[in-house]
Amino acid sequence: MKIQNKQFGEISFEQESIIEFEEGILGFEELTKYILISEKDGYFFWLTSIEQPEIIFPLFSIKLLEEEYVEDGEMEPYGIVKLAKEPQNISINLKAPVFINHKEKIGHQTLIDSEAYAVDYPLFVKTEKV
Amino acid sequence: MLILSRKENQKIRIGSDIVINIISISENNVRIGIEANKNVKIYREEVYDSIKQHTTEAASNIKEMLPTSMKELKLNKIIKHDKKKN
Repeated sequence: MKIQNKQFGEISFEQESIIEFEEGILGFEELTKYILISEKDGYFFWLTSIEQPEIIFPLFSIKLLEEEYVEDGEMEPYGIVKLAKEPQNISINLKAPVFINHKEKIGHQTLIDSEAYAVDYPLFVKTEKV
Repeated sequence: MLILSRKENQKIRIGSDIVINIISISENNVRIGIEANKNVKIYREEVYDSIKQHTTEAASNIKEMLPTSMKELKLNKIIKHDKKKN
């Protein structure tokens, strides 16, 4: 199968790699079929809608920030990342994580009702040089 | 908008699956219990708005250039039980 967008150009993928989000992503409930694109040595995963290929959510594996983050069976937790020109302005949503089961090819977004997790948690700390 | 008056411990039923319970009322705070199926998503409005805004901006900011020296950046690891007591 093939889709095309400005970010990646033409993307070929197998039907089996489609991840189904039955309830969509908050604000994008009508989009339920995605592929997860990763780049070699890349920091982020790109959750790309196959129904509307220009809609792409950058994801970051939350386990790299906290190993004991909220568990959900065999699902892997990711945070939606808002990119920015200045690294200190890049933020990750830890309050409404995206869980993906890579085996079953299903995903869903959950709300973590805890003050401990912010919607716009800074992904990076300023290095001492800056 | 439908507006109802309720006292403490009185309930409102929405359809057959959702029950809103007024647990307690104080001067400027109401505690509300909500019984609903697990698949019903319940958000505080301001949290819903901020998630939606962040997600929408995340989807439209993908073209923001990432710094080439990304590897020099340090991840902001989450430190648990770090409750600051001021």
